[in-house]
Amino acid sequence: MATRRRNLFLYLALACFIGIIAIFIGDGYLGVYDALYITAGEREETIEPDFWQREDWVWSTGVNQGERVFFRYEVDNRQFSRYSGNVEVSVWRMQERVLNLASQPIAIAPFDKGQVEWIIDTTELKPGDILSEQSYQFSVIITREAIERKVILHVNPLTLPKPPVRVS
Amino acid sequence: MKLEYILFGFGILLCLSGVGYLAAEYVKYLSDIGKMGSLLLAVGMFAFMGKYFESLGW
Repeated sequence: MATRRRNLFLYLALACFIGIIAIFIGDGYLGVYDALYITAGEREETIEPDFWQREDWVWSTGVNQGERVFFRYEVDNRQFSRYSGNVEVSVWRMQERVLNLASQPIAIAPFDKGQVEWIIDTTELKPGDILSEQSYQFSVIITREAIERKVILHVNPLTLPKPPVRVS
Repeated sequence: MKLEYILFGFGILLCLSGVGYLAAEYVKYLSDIGKMGSLLLAVGMFAFMGKYFESLGW
């Protein structure tokens, strides 16, 4: 009887351990996750899937005027079923849509990855009222079904503003 | 020391290492309910292990 009771505690501990593993696999691993890779200049930035789960879900990066920025949006389907969706990418400035970059359906097999790539040329997006010495920002918004990801691109000026001339 | 206890300790270490690895890799993706459930199960696991070793006379 005592042995049976002792083994019961062991089995319950084992059940709790298996439950923890199941939660990690079911809730932590399985699902659909997305990552964004931004290459500006000679550096690549990676926005991991867990970034989007935080409250501060807006990523900000800088690029020089005249440069091109390469984006690669990767969707990781960690499910036993096929994932289908539509990815739309657009550029916004001051709450106005400036340009539609991509609208692409994706179909990903179970435990496979799919990706959408696009390039932003800062020369083409420069507003007409902005001088070369001025910096400006615009947002790249990625929409996948009900999910929205936002990246703010800060475009640095070509030349530094001239220092003010001292009048003696 | 009995071989049985050494194997016990070895097994427990490996299990904790595995859970630690999973926690480091995937706990950031857990939902709030998942985190609460994992915490409760972890407490229960150590509680039952404590009762088991208590019944062994340790």
